Amino acid sequence: MDTIRKIFSPLTQIKGRTSITLVVMEATAALVAWELFGQHGLIPTPSKILMAAWKIVTSAFFADNLFSSLALTFTGMGISIVVALLVSYLSLIPVFAPVARFIVKCRYLTLTGLIFLFTLLTQDGHQLKLSLLIFGIVPFFVTSLLSIIDAINVQEYELCKTLRMNNWQTLWEVVIVGRLDQVFEVMRQNFAIAWMMITMVEGLSMSEGGLGTMLIKSNKYIDLGTVFAILVIIFALGVFFDSVLKHLRHWLFPYTKLQTRA
Amino acid sequence: MNYTKNEVLIDVKEVNLTYDKVILRDINFRIQNIVRPGMNQGQVVSLIGRSGIGKTQLFKILAGLVKPNSGTVMVGVDQHPVEAGEVGIVSQNYILFNHRSVHDNLRLAMKHDSLALNDKDKDALIADYAQRFALEEHLKKYPLQLSGGQRQRVSIIQQVLTGNRFILLDEPFSGLDALMIDRVMELLTQVATLHELNTLVIVSHDVENSLAISDTAYILAKEKEKEGATITETLDLIEMGLAWNAGIREDSRFQQLVSQMKHKI
Repeated sequence: MDTIRKIFSPLTQIKGRTSITLVVMEATAALVAWELFGQHGLIPTPSKILMAAWKIVTSAFFADNLFSSLALTFTGMGISIVVALLVSYLSLIPVFAPVARFIVKCRYLTLTGLIFLFTLLTQDGHQLKLSLLIFGIVPFFVTSLLSIIDAINVQEYELCKTLRMNNWQTLWEVVIVGRLDQVFEVMRQNFAIAWMMITMVEGLSMSEGGLGTMLIKSNKYIDLGTVFAILVIIFALGVFFDSVLKHLRHWLFPYTKLQTRA
Repeated sequence: MNYTKNEVLIDVKEVNLTYDKVILRDINFRIQNIVRPGMNQGQVVSLIGRSGIGKTQLFKILAGLVKPNSGTVMVGVDQHPVEAGEVGIVSQNYILFNHRSVHDNLRLAMKHDSLALNDKDKDALIADYAQRFALEEHLKKYPLQLSGGQRQRVSIIQQVLTGNRFILLDEPFSGLDALMIDRVMELLTQVATLHELNTLVIVSHDVENSLAISDTAYILAKEKEKEGATITETLDLIEMGLAWNAGIREDSRFQQLVSQMKHKI
């Protein structure tokens, strides 16, 4: 009775088991309702989506498409994080600061208008997709990284001075090593953006396949069962990688667990 | 009491600081090496003033982190202008590197070139200080796992380990209960007596506790119809017979002095 009262009370913190039970119950209720009342609707029911998903996962072409999407995402993420880190760290040297500020503003540039330019600049479909992905992610990465740097307490820099560190040592200790855990968190958050963009850029060059290509093809034939099944697969993979990165962060930087609990 | 005041260790002359208004005006004071036979008697000096008077700015000027508009801060036996890094600071919120363990935070204090110790000696020194200041069990912990008092001890030891003889403490009694204040006082006395030249400068609005631990106190306040804070009073607590006494807070003369000073800041 007490638990029931708690889950309806505002600002109440609910612990692990209750929280999981709540999620499972609500998800089950939503799925059951969808299954029962969605039989004659436009959107396929969960059982149909599940069957379609199983069919896709067990098909011969799925592994190739999945690998293609993952390879593109990880390559794009890897290059983007290196570029973004370089730009962000260099922004602390006054001469490079305007470049970083400009890249931040590039968030407002739409990719659609630049596809033609990127097509001319790149040699093949793979390069085109990769460049667009990087161009799309880097401004978001840089924005998040600069906000981390801006939020550093001035007392940390002062502490470095009292410990007789020079400016380069201070940069290393406070900005680079001291904020690696937050960089990792930014990477985790921006992975979601990259994962969402993948379906869009894969549509630009379909020769390599990928989950995005599968999605676009199914959309074309209004095969809604398959469309929703692919969406569920993309969603599940996104949640899986998010969880992996979250646990990896806690493992690599154990003090982040303390900050979360504090 | 048998003591002498020898060479000047910190000399603050005609320091003025103005931003959009005058913050500090004509700040003058000096800290001399107090020598007592048969012991390492460091110096504990308080700069007492009410909140918002400009204590933190003076704190930063003394640490070499902020340049005053005019005036000088000379430090050391050779009396040279202060440079950032020569004076240790222990901030009110005990800033430490949260991504490093306590041991690594302390180790970082000994990374600079002027300390000619090998890794083994550095670890031995950390172990020695950890044992003296009851931090042995906490060396492997991260700062976020420590209590406020433990963080304060780590901060102070970190500054001691840099080799700095001058350590500034910003509001070291703030937010502590009576028992913790006594412990902090013991700790500060311990640090002050580690070396003859160790000099602790406490910047605080807490009149009673600051006076109880100091050998000299300077009152930072505003004078009537004048802009900016300045040193309005100097208290030589040794001469007054109110220094180096753990039970001084029970003394009626001390209580009277505290009461007077509270009205002056």
